[in-house]
Amino acid sequence: MTTKKDNHPIGRGSATDRDPNTAEKFQFWIHPDQTVNPFDIVAAEHFPAEGSNEPSRTFGLVTNIKHFTDAGSHLANLISNDFGEEVNQPPQTPRQGANVAEAAVLSNSADIYMPVRNESRIYFADEEDIHQALGIDGIPEQRRVPAGLIQMSNGAQAVAYLDRDFVLGPEAGHVNISGISGLATKTSYAMFLIQALLQKSAQDEIAVILLNVKYDDLLHIHEPRELSEEEEKVWKQLGLEPKPWPEDRVHYLLPNGKQTHTTGRPNCFADPLPQQHKVYAYALRETAPKLDLLFSDIPDPNDTLGAIIGEIMSGLSGNEPAWRAVQTWDDLLTKPPLVQQGIPQKFQNIHPSSVGRFLRLLRRVVKTRQTGIFVSQLFTRMTTIEKEIGNIKGGHTYVVDIARLAPEEQTLVFGDVLRTVYGLYSGEMLPFDDYTPPEKVIIFVDELNKYAPARGHGESSPILDQVLDIAERGRSFGMILFSAQQFLSAVHERVTGNSATKVLGRSDSAEINAGNYRFLDQDIRYHLTRLDKGELILSHPIYRQPVKIRFPRPPFRQSRAAK
Amino acid sequence: MANPFQPLQGALGVLVSQAEVLPATGQAVVDMVTSDLDEIYDQKTGGQPDVEKVWETDVRALYRTVRPIHRTEKHGFRYFLDGSARTYFIGTVLEHNRATPVQVSQVGAAMVKREDDGRIRVAASRRAILLTLEKSQVSDTLWQALEGAIKGTKGYALCDSATNNRYADEQNLQEARPRGAHRANWYMRELELDLARSVQREDGGWLVMDGSLGNEFEDWDGAPLVGVAKTFRRDSLFKLGTGPRSKTLNLFGLLKDLQENQRTLVFSRNDEGKIVFWYVRIRPQRGLDYPLMGVVKVEMPNPGRQLLNSDMVDEISGWLVAERRVTPYGRDGRWHAHLYPIYIAERVVRSLFYSEDALKSGIRWPFKSA
Repeated sequence: MTTKKDNHPIGRGSATDRDPNTAEKFQFWIHPDQTVNPFDIVAAEHFPAEGSNEPSRTFGLVTNIKHFTDAGSHLANLISNDFGEEVNQPPQTPRQGANVAEAAVLSNSADIYMPVRNESRIYFADEEDIHQALGIDGIPEQRRVPAGLIQMSNGAQAVAYLDRDFVLGPEAGHVNISGISGLATKTSYAMFLIQALLQKSAQDEIAVILLNVKYDDLLHIHEPRELSEEEEKVWKQLGLEPKPWPEDRVHYLLPNGKQTHTTGRPNCFADPLPQQHKVYAYALRETAPKLDLLFSDIPDPNDTLGAIIGEIMSGLSGNEPAWRAVQTWDDLLTKPPLVQQGIPQKFQNIHPSSVGRFLRLLRRVVKTRQTGIFVSQLFTRMTTIEKEIGNIKGGHTYVVDIARLAPEEQTLVFGDVLRTVYGLYSGEMLPFDDYTPPEKVIIFVDELNKYAPARGHGESSPILDQVLDIAERGRSFGMILFSAQQFLSAVHERVTGNSATKVLGRSDSAEINAGNYRFLDQDIRYHLTRLDKGELILSHPIYRQPVKIRFPRPPFRQSRAAK
Repeated sequence: MANPFQPLQGALGVLVSQAEVLPATGQAVVDMVTSDLDEIYDQKTGGQPDVEKVWETDVRALYRTVRPIHRTEKHGFRYFLDGSARTYFIGTVLEHNRATPVQVSQVGAAMVKREDDGRIRVAASRRAILLTLEKSQVSDTLWQALEGAIKGTKGYALCDSATNNRYADEQNLQEARPRGAHRANWYMRELELDLARSVQREDGGWLVMDGSLGNEFEDWDGAPLVGVAKTFRRDSLFKLGTGPRSKTLNLFGLLKDLQENQRTLVFSRNDEGKIVFWYVRIRPQRGLDYPLMGVVKVEMPNPGRQLLNSDMVDEISGWLVAERRVTPYGRDGRWHAHLYPIYIAERVVRSLFYSEDALKSGIRWPFKSA
C-alpha cells in the first residue's frame, strides 16, 4: 500500500492548463530534497475503487524530469547574476524552481484510468507495487524467470521476472539483445538469462547451443569465478545459484585448424583447452547438403550460382554416377564433371564461365582463405556439427566455437547448427533410433547482423532464410533464438520483430533515432545513450513499459576479452 | 469539486430577494485600483514635501557607499511580506432611488521566511473573500440580512466601501466602484499589518514589507522591520544644511548622482523622526531608462525618535543591495526595484486565490427562472 508507514510522499500530481495529465501520462512535482531518476516507478493516489474507502494507485514509470523556474528567459537569469558579472557567489535567494517528473502510466490497482489528479500524493513504489505495476503479479509463480533487478532511486529493489511462456513459447519467444560492444554486457546478460531459465526449469527440459564468436568468451563456462560478497548477494536476491555450468553437462565443439593434425590443438583462443571438447571439421561429402551456406554473402541475381550449387548438392547427396569420383574438395575443384584438364566445363545448361566463377569462389573459401575446417576426409577423432547437434540432450549445453573462423566459415557453421536443429524439431530429419530431442532448445549467437542483416525487402540468402525460419516458426517447435548485435537497426526486422523480449544496452545517439526504436518512448530512447555497464533496458510483452534493470556478473570464468 | 464561492450565494440570495439587482454584463468584471497607489499613499501620508531634517549620526556626506552583505555573511533580512487584492464588480443593487455597486474581492497577504541556505518557506498567510457594498445606499434591514448571511462564514467578510478605506479617503475618491476596489486594498493592508504584528520571528530576523509604511507604523513596537517602496512620491524637496553651503534638491536632483551600492542620508518624515527614510540604489543607472529606476526607498519606524546609527543604516542598506540577486526581470515592469523574496511572497498570495475562471463561474446571481 502507498500508505505504508515507512513510505513517504515524494511529491504531488501536477496538471496545468498547458500541460494536462492524461490517461497515458501524468506529471508530478518532486519534493526539493528528493531524488528521482528516469525509470523509477512511482505510485499516485487515485480514486478509490467502487465500494472502497482506500485510494487506488496509478503506477507510472518516470520517463523524464524537467526543471522549471520562474525565470521568463535565460536573459532573466543572466541579469539576476548582476548582468552576468557574478559567477561564484550563491544567489541571495535561489530562484524558485521545481523538478517536475513525467511518468508513463503503467496500470491502476483498481483499473481506473482517469488521469491522475492535480495534488495527488506520489510515492515511490515498493517491490509489491512494482510487480503490480508491470503486470508481474499476474505471472504464475512456476512461470516466473528472474531477469534482473529493478533498482529505484530510494534504494528499493524489485526482481524483474519474465514469463517463461513468453520467452520459450508457446505464447511468444526469442530474446534479442542490442548495445555497443566494450561494455561486456550483451553476452553476459544472455548467459545470465539462460542460466536463470535452466535453473528455473526441469533438469532435462532445455538444451542450449552457444556460438562463441569472440576470443574464448564462452569457452570456460564450467570454470567457477570468485564472486564478491555483493555479487553473491544479488544472485541470491534473484533466487538463483551463482554456479558455473556443471562440467559434465557442457560440450565444447572446437574447429579443426591447419595445424591441428600436427599439434593436436584446435583452432581456438582457449588456453588451456577445455577438457571435454571435440574437434569439428567439414569434408566435402558431409558438407554437401549445406554447400549453399558457403555462398550466402555472394550476390547471385540470376541464380546461376544457386543452380550449380543445387546440382552439386543433389549429385553428391544422391551419389549420382557423375559425382562418384568426387570425394574431396580437391576433387570438386579439379575433376569432372565441373573441370576437365583444368578447364571449367559446361554443366547441364550452365555456361562454363559461370562454372568457372563458382570454382573460383569455392577455391577461395575452402582452399585459399580457409582456416583448417575444410578437410579432405574426416579422421576418427573429428566430428561434425550435424552429428553433435543432431544428438543434443536436454540439460546439456553445447558451445560451438567459431571465433577464429573466416566469415564464410562462420556462416557455414551457424547455418549448419540452425539447419540441423530445425531439421530435428520440424521433423525433416527422422532419427533412426528412439532419440527424442529435448522439449526446448535455446540457440545463442552474437553478431546476428552478419547472418540476418537489415536489407531491402525481397533479398534473401540461404543463411538469412534459415534464421528467418527459426525466428518465425521456431517457437512453435521449441527452438528459441537468443541473439545479440551492436545495432538493432543492422538486423533484419523480421528477426527482431519476432523477438518478444528485447534487451537494450548503451547505444549511440545516431542509432537510437533509427525506426527500430519506435517502440520506446522518446525520452527513454535518449536514456539509452547514458546506460552504465551492467545496466539494460528490458522490454517484455507482459510489461506495460520497458524497465531498467541490473544483473550480476556471470559466475564462470570470463575470457581474456572480459579481463 | 465544490463551488468555492458557495458561501456567498446566501448573501447574493438576500440581495436578489430583498432588492433589485442589475447583474454585471458578461459576469464579473475586474475593478482596478489607482495604478500608482503606493506613490499616492506615500505622498498622502508622508506629510509635507519639504524634507529638512537629517536623522542619522554621521552627516558628513550626502551619499554613503555601502558594501553588499550576502546572507552567508550576515543574514539580516529573513522575513518578507506582501499582499494582493483583486476586486470584481458583479452587479448593482437598487433599493428605491438608492444604488450601490456589489463587488467581490479576493484579498490575501503572505509572509515568507528565508532560511540560512536561501530556501524560502511560507511563514504565515491570510486570505479573505469580501463582499463590498456602500452601506449608506442600502436599507438597514437589507444590510443586517446581508450580515446575517455572511456572519460566521470563515474567510468571508462584508465590507462597507465608505468606511475604513484610507486609500480612497487619502485620494478623495468619490466614485463607488473605485472606492470598493480601494477598500479591498486597505483590507489587504490590514492583513499585512496583522501578519507583521502577530507572526513570531526568530531573534534578529528583520522583516521587509512591500511598499511605504504609512503613518500606522509611527508607533511601531514590534520586531524590527523596514518598508521598501519601489515607487514613491516625487514631489519631495530636500533642504540640506544652512548657510552658504546649503542646497536644495528635488528628488531627481538627489538621486541622479546616487551611484550603485550607495545610499542617501537618512531623512525624517514630517520632521518628527517617528518614520525615517532613505534611498538606496540597488542597480546601476546604465541600462535603465530613467534616473529613478533601480532605486528603492527604505522606510523604518523609529518610535524612539533617536538619530539612527549610520553604521547600522549602512548595514541595512548592504543587506538590501544584496537582495538584487535574484531579480524577476521580465516578469514585472518594476523588476529593477523589485526584491525577489517579496515577489515570491506575492506569488504565494496569488496562489491562494481562485482563478478568474473559477470566480466568474462560481459567482452566480440566484435569480429565479420565470
